[in-house]
Amino acid sequence: MIRSIFGLILVLVLGAIMVAVVPDIEYSEEIHGVGLHYTSQGMQETGSANLVTAVIVAYRGLDTLGEVVVLFCASTSVVLILSLYPLSLKVSRPSFIVAQTSRLLPAPILLLGLYLIAHSHLSPGGGFPGGAVIASAFLLVMLGGTAVPGSSRNLAAVESLAGLSFGLLGFWGVMKLGQFLNNLVLGTGTPGSLVSAGLIPLISLVIGIKVASELSSVFAAFRYKGGH
Amino acid sequence: MLELYHWSIAGTALGLVLIGLWGVLTRRNIIRIALAFTLADTGVNLLLVWTGHIPDRTSPIHDSTTAALNATEAMVDPLPQALVLTSIVIGVAVAALFVVVAVLASRRTGSADIRRLRELRW
Repeated sequence: MIRSIFGLILVLVLGAIMVAVVPDIEYSEEIHGVGLHYTSQGMQETGSANLVTAVIVAYRGLDTLGEVVVLFCASTSVVLILSLYPLSLKVSRPSFIVAQTSRLLPAPILLLGLYLIAHSHLSPGGGFPGGAVIASAFLLVMLGGTAVPGSSRNLAAVESLAGLSFGLLGFWGVMKLGQFLNNLVLGTGTPGSLVSAGLIPLISLVIGIKVASELSSVFAAFRYKGGH
Repeated sequence: MLELYHWSIAGTALGLVLIGLWGVLTRRNIIRIALAFTLADTGVNLLLVWTGHIPDRTSPIHDSTTAALNATEAMVDPLPQALVLTSIVIGVAVAALFVVVAVLASRRTGSADIRRLRELRW
């Protein structure tokens, strides 16, 4: 009870401070700063019709590499902790609906994931959401069966290969244009067509594979029974 | 002062942050604390996206409808959206670790009640 009252008071005070501060956020009806450059020159410079992808993969590609590393660290620690202290859950039989859905839906889900990755420079989507969608198909398959995945060596290999490819694609830029992760090693092509935007589709593909394998290994780790 | 339209978005974001904070402070079930945590995370993301949002503009993707317009006057700012994508991914990573630690803690004490974790008290 005291805890609730104390929490409520703290939340109310913080809420009052926030409400007082929000009107001072420098909100404007025009784009400012670097966003102005991205919207006016982004498509010409990177060849990507989707400017968010252009920012993530081309302008701030190094940040995205760091982000992928953070995700890698998180998934590795989840898998590490759960293989040291396996949950050894009793896997119950899936219900009829889950069992049937897990046979029907994974193929369309995979297709959607691949579409999101392949069209990352043209429409909303990209490597991260596409990879997450593909991993959800894996999760559905796992929930629809009673099998327990063992140590997922293949996933780790796919994941490492994708991470390595990201770095190598970056070094291609160093070799050709003297800049790490330079997007223009392949030329921008015609913005709006499927084969365009330089390295962006390739990097999106690599990110998608990496995210999908990482999330899948996290899901698999929760069912890992332990022992070798 | 901001008008009602902006307050509705910013207010939702702040509300999510506060609900999440309240949940973290007062709930006792570890899984509920994890949920409250992700709720606050979502609120912060929404607030960040709002800072780049401009009413009556399209998403920052060039297509046939924006070709005739001046892009800087037809689109919202792509930068906050790109940064929030990073934030979402990190949020997922943190949530996954949170759940693992929560599950291990609850196995250690035999319940999901955070008060049973006496080792963390001072």
